[in-house]
Amino acid sequence: MIPKDGSMLIGEPFKDPTSVPSRNASSYKPLHTFALPKGAEKHYQQQYADMYFLRLALLKKAVIQKAHEAWDDFELGGEKATYVERVLDVRQGELCWVVGTVYMEMNLKPNVLDDISKEHWIVAPPPRETYVNSSGADDMMLEDESGRLRVIGETLNSTYVTGCILAALGTEQADGSFQVIATQFADLPRQPQRWEREDSDRTTVTKTKREKSGKVAIVSGLGITGTEDDDLTLDLLLEYLTGEATGPTDQSNAAQITRLIVAGDSLSHASPILSREDFATKKNQKKHVYGYDASAYNATPAEKLDSFLTQVLPTMPITILPGASDPANVALPQQPLHPALFPHSRSFANPPALSNETLHGLDSVTNPWEGDIEGWRVLGTGGQTVEDLLKYVEDVHPIEVMEMMLRWRCIAPTAPDTLWCYPFQDDDPLLLRECPHIYLAGNMKKFGRRVIEGPAGQKVLLVAVPKFRETGQIVLVDLESMEVELVECGVVQPGV
Amino acid sequence: MAEENYKEYLAARVLTDNRPVTYRLLSRALKVNVNTAKQMLYEFHTKQNAKKPNTIHATYLLIGKMRTSEHINGVNGRDGDDTVMRSSPFISSMPEPEGELAEEPVPTTSIVLVREEELEKTKSEFEDIGSIHIYSLEPGPIENLNVLSVCNQEIAMDFASEDPLEQWRVYGSIHNPYIKRRTTKYNPVPPKVPAKPTVKPTHAAAAVKKEDASGLKRKGSVSEDNTSGQSTPQSGPVSLKKSDSKSNLKKDKSVGDLFKSFAKAKPKAKEAEKSKESTPAPVEDEQMQGMSEDEGDENDAPEVKFDEEKAAAAKKAREEREEKLRQMMEDDVDMPDAEPEEEKDSQDAPLDTAVSSKPAESGSQGSVTIQGGRRRGRRRVMKKKKVKDEDGYLVTKEEAVWESFSEEDPEPKKAKPVAKPASTAKGKKAGGKGQGSIASFFKKA
Repeated sequence: MIPKDGSMLIGEPFKDPTSVPSRNASSYKPLHTFALPKGAEKHYQQQYADMYFLRLALLKKAVIQKAHEAWDDFELGGEKATYVERVLDVRQGELCWVVGTVYMEMNLKPNVLDDISKEHWIVAPPPRETYVNSSGADDMMLEDESGRLRVIGETLNSTYVTGCILAALGTEQADGSFQVIATQFADLPRQPQRWEREDSDRTTVTKTKREKSGKVAIVSGLGITGTEDDDLTLDLLLEYLTGEATGPTDQSNAAQITRLIVAGDSLSHASPILSREDFATKKNQKKHVYGYDASAYNATPAEKLDSFLTQVLPTMPITILPGASDPANVALPQQPLHPALFPHSRSFANPPALSNETLHGLDSVTNPWEGDIEGWRVLGTGGQTVEDLLKYVEDVHPIEVMEMMLRWRCIAPTAPDTLWCYPFQDDDPLLLRECPHIYLAGNMKKFGRRVIEGPAGQKVLLVAVPKFRETGQIVLVDLESMEVELVECGVVQPGV
Repeated sequence: MAEENYKEYLAARVLTDNRPVTYRLLSRALKVNVNTAKQMLYEFHTKQNAKKPNTIHATYLLIGKMRTSEHINGVNGRDGDDTVMRSSPFISSMPEPEGELAEEPVPTTSIVLVREEELEKTKSEFEDIGSIHIYSLEPGPIENLNVLSVCNQEIAMDFASEDPLEQWRVYGSIHNPYIKRRTTKYNPVPPKVPAKPTVKPTHAAAAVKKEDASGLKRKGSVSEDNTSGQSTPQSGPVSLKKSDSKSNLKKDKSVGDLFKSFAKAKPKAKEAEKSKESTPAPVEDEQMQGMSEDEGDENDAPEVKFDEEKAAAAKKAREEREEKLRQMMEDDVDMPDAEPEEEKDSQDAPLDTAVSSKPAESGSQGSVTIQGGRRRGRRRVMKKKKVKDEDGYLVTKEEAVWESFSEEDPEPKKAKPVAKPASTAKGKKAGGKGQGSIASFFKKA
């Protein structure tokens, strides 16, 4: 049952350790799509309305084109569907289609006005698990520059969320609402060829021979708290990644991993904005301390993360994204974790001025993040976008949400409505310009994966990465075959 | 050479020190390949248990494929991909309910750490075991496997200075020739692992060291006592108390500093009364200066050296102080230039503390800085914390927290425990003179 070289339960004489193959280089080319301007260039006075305007303006064309393809021949009772440019121009009883931004009116959705009046409340309501009202009293609107149109219809239930751009085919009812028969959305954008950016950089036409690609390991939700109970599984993960644990065969397998992606939530209580619970505990232990209270800061979790990274880095390059509970800015796109958090591991990164070009070392990147690994375009997020979108809908699996986000070409459709977001003015990087080959979302409750196809033959691998702290799982993606596997670290506790 | 050493190392660590050891720590300590270290552990485990059954306990690391039933139960129901079934542009974007997703299990490799008690049971849960090796050895069955993580912390601390890019040669971890490491301008200090309660077992050695150090100190103080002649009986308990908790030591020191400064402020008569001796505190005062802000165990070692260097100065200070004390006691009446508060405190304190000695609750003092006569610093205190648990019950917990304090704050611990060493000797005398506290009165009665 155990292969011959698998059992290390042998004593003297010690045989010479078999040498484990070295890792291959990780071909890595990050994009800086989500980097915000630095310092004084970063402004927060802009209105969010511009984001919606921009989104509609940029996506309208694609949606209209899709709708034309689908509905130009469409007839209902001898009546041809026509395109109406502004939602307010819809005539009653006329079969037509319009394009607009979805807005969901939900009573349970957080509301800025409520937030303001919260100061007068005795007890604020708990954060919502879902915005869906069980009585079904939620309204959906379609909005463009001209105004809003209330839309109803069976096809809409639990399908769209605030912020996505939609073409809706239907007729206006007597009560003024728009009865929808069918909908269209932009669908996947153009997908770059593998190695496209690398090849375009080369002046010579000759194709360089590339080595067979290895695997990329993805972990999210390390959730380091600084207490001991999470240490051991983390140790096992560390020893697996460095190829120290297990026998020669499995060590060679581990050597195929050429990069580690840490997809958010590496620390568990480090967000600059405290969660409700953290805030409550903090408030209770109020002391009379003036100025900065050094005792309130616990450096242990950050030190542990640093130590983990430092021990993995000699054998494997790492890309680390911030997540909801990490010490980065809270508004999307989250900017890279500051190198000061990594006093030891940052020596594996380029010096500060060039640190965002670290190809073989520690690359602290934005969330969401986009880049090329082994020629494939990879889009990764810390999971907040998916998490927030799931609150709008019921009985939907995260992997489906991820699929819809790509098809809507919106990486964060619910921002800025229910998800904090930088007020982009002239360009919105959260719109999907190029279709990735691999789309990752970290910090999901469960592992999930799916391959979707686009209208032009685009193939995208979607991976929902589970929280390591809760499941002990990391995901390996073979970058040659696009196969996915899981590695699970666990401890059998005594007496179980 | 390592081949011979490993038995000694393991015997010393596991059997003598009662601390766990993992293959990784063993490989670092002996500079051997991790895979060799795993075999060494096995060899030692079998040999030792053949000699004396159950003297050594092992944990095993298994890697392989778990049975699928296990998957469904425990870990994850997962979605497969059903790409093929999807036609590309679909009119209704309605996500399909989960049930329709084709279930296609993803190959999963499990890495499981297990004690030898549960090994057979766990083995049976595997469909296919890729490899198995001993992960760690420990003197007896461990209740909480998390204690093993201290071994890795030890590695992070003790072997941080090694060049990480060369480790693969020795230890056999996977080599990556592409990684580059910048040499930073300064070398950051190796990560300090905060001493935590759980860490205790591993820090046993450190504790031993500590004890040694304090033992030395004790010796030193005893000899001082001897030279000064008397009160040796008292010095015994005093030094004992010191050795039992480090925090106490520190407190003693910091207080001592204060005493000393006071003593210096009043250079009175030069003749020293030996009977008052028994105050090792001043000696340690001197060491206090060497203390850095964060107390590390390492800090203790150099103190011993300090002792000798500063012994002379300390002695002088002590003599002055004794002298002063004696004078005070001789004339029952308050002296015109009244004793500083602290001094009195200290006299009362000895017995107080004896009665209600609460060093544990007081915790340790991080650092005290005296600036312009103001004390400021940080100290660790046990705070009671009330939390409402999920069931709605109020639970009171004691937690160690750091708080900063300054002169204005009441200083609960400082005065008392500090005074202890000095006072035990002093207190008795003082009591005799009727200067003692109420407690001392009772004691006499």
